[in-house]
Amino acid sequence: MARIVLVFGHPRQDSLNAALRDRAAASLRDAGHHVDVLDLGAIGFTPAMTPAERAAYHTPTPVIDPVVAAHAALVKRADALLFVYPTWWSGLPAVVKGWLDRLMVPSVAFSFDDDNRLVPGLRNVRLIGGISTYGSPWRYQQLVGDNGRRILHRTLRTMCARRCRRRWLALYTLDTRTREECAAFVDRAGRAVVRWAAAL
Amino acid sequence: MGGRVVRMLVVFCHPLQESFAAAARDAALRGLAAAGHEVRLRDLYAEGFDPYVSAAERARHRDPWHTKPEIARDIDDLRWAEGITFVYPTWWSGLPSMLKGWFDRAWVDGVVSTLPPGATRLRPLLTNVRRLVIVTTHGSPWWVNALTGRSGKRTIFRSVRVMCHWRTRCAWVALHNIDRATPDARAGFLRRVERRLARLR
Repeated sequence: MARIVLVFGHPRQDSLNAALRDRAAASLRDAGHHVDVLDLGAIGFTPAMTPAERAAYHTPTPVIDPVVAAHAALVKRADALLFVYPTWWSGLPAVVKGWLDRLMVPSVAFSFDDDNRLVPGLRNVRLIGGISTYGSPWRYQQLVGDNGRRILHRTLRTMCARRCRRRWLALYTLDTRTREECAAFVDRAGRAVVRWAAAL
Repeated sequence: MGGRVVRMLVVFCHPLQESFAAAARDAALRGLAAAGHEVRLRDLYAEGFDPYVSAAERARHRDPWHTKPEIARDIDDLRWAEGITFVYPTWWSGLPSMLKGWFDRAWVDGVVSTLPPGATRLRPLLTNVRRLVIVTTHGSPWWVNALTGRSGKRTIFRSVRVMCHWRTRCAWVALHNIDRATPDARAGFLRRVERRLARLR
């Protein structure tokens, strides 16, 4: 039984992304895991680091927003982080990046030791998974860098468990997909997340 | 040397006016002024720009550009510009979310790209832009960025650049390890920024 935090970043509840979120959460719960879904749009998550937060960054209390504090508490106890979002401009939608900017601060994502060296703070996270939809084809994303995935699988991962696993499921050329293909992708997503979480 | 005047859109993104990023912005503006370029300045935080694409906005994302008064200023700036200079702190190897949101919301169909009927590939429309400049700072050393993949740089110099003129030239001016940078290193970076923008053609 693993604790999974699912970060969701599409504005519409009638979107394919919302269906992916729902299927992933349901499948994981059916498999006995505990899932906290953070629907950033639905809760009105402030999408950018505020001036007050930036000013507080290097102080002893960098977390000043109660929503950020609540999410941070979940992340500090999580075994896995799962991101479900549409890829826009090869990257994370602003609100998902904003979640990282505001949450992954000193005392949450990392800290400094007595020699002022950076100590990763998310060693409890053993899996970073992502499910994303793309307007572009796979080959194009390889050329431009698939930068949302890169931030999650490389940069964020530096703060997580040393052998933190990375998993990804993508649907490319979204605009040309039929209803059946999208439904099949939702089915695949439900099965994939259960496989990813089985080793936790 | 025959400098021609470039219409440069400067997009600044930092939550604090008293920030090193603001000093970098000012250095960039001095350089552009010295070279005689025409400048429009955007300050996303100061303007209260909202980086969040709402459900209502997303539902309209394929609508014609002229039905979007909420981004009229951005569309006008994009069409006016021959170059865009971005000044921002790199966070988690990428763009601050406020700046990412500017692309999410303002870089719309009919302005930066179009999908002709029957086509499967977007056609770039922002061909008036031929210069992209990034002025940025990083908390981490350069080798960490090299390992973790420079996502912000790629987002702008690859994904965004595709919508611009095919001969668009890119310039990157970066300071790494800012938390440990000495006053000399910081001052040196500001001089580099000013000189690089003054050299821009």
